[in-house]
Amino acid sequence: MKNRLKVLRAERDWSQADLADRLEVSRQTVNALETGKYDPSLPLAFKLARLFGLPIETIFQDEA
Amino acid sequence: MAKKKMSPAMRRYLIRFFPAMTAYMGVLYASLWWIRHQAPEGPLLWALGIAPALPVIAVIVIMGLYLAEEQDEFVRSTLVQAMLWGMGVTLAGCTAWGFLENVELLPHVPLYLVFPLFCCSMGLAQPLVRWRYR
Repeated sequence: MKNRLKVLRAERDWSQADLADRLEVSRQTVNALETGKYDPSLPLAFKLARLFGLPIETIFQDEA
Repeated sequence: MAKKKMSPAMRRYLIRFFPAMTAYMGVLYASLWWIRHQAPEGPLLWALGIAPALPVIAVIVIMGLYLAEEQDEFVRSTLVQAMLWGMGVTLAGCTAWGFLENVELLPHVPLYLVFPLFCCSMGLAQPLVRWRYR
């Protein structure tokens, strides 16, 4: 699933490790999310949405 | 480069794993020594015979606990995939070996080697599974 995580992270000037710390996950997890190869669970998607202060659907775009 | 941090679940896993492996080596050695030198019989032989399996079973439980306790869902997901690969390789390998053993092309292999085979194939699968997400 496509997402804007890399852009949102860059806007805040966070490294992958910074975002990983804020989400309490590993840096590999952040990388897998950003490349769109791993789709997060709903709890993790909500955590991301809260962290960026944005609705989930503006972070993740389903390609239907 | 940022230092790689260990999750609390991984720390607990290692704290449990190393005593279990140490116990395994101690129990295995003691049980073999006793059986060889004292020639026990009956229930004592049963107890000494099964003893080395108990720490190995503990390691299986410790692996299961890690999977249940790990909070990073991506890490959990890649571990489960690696476990499935390990399981597939072990089941396929043991089945093929068994049939070849049946026609006397291969020697008999003790069943206690099945778990190490699972661990090795899972360990080899882990970086390959991770690599797919890079």
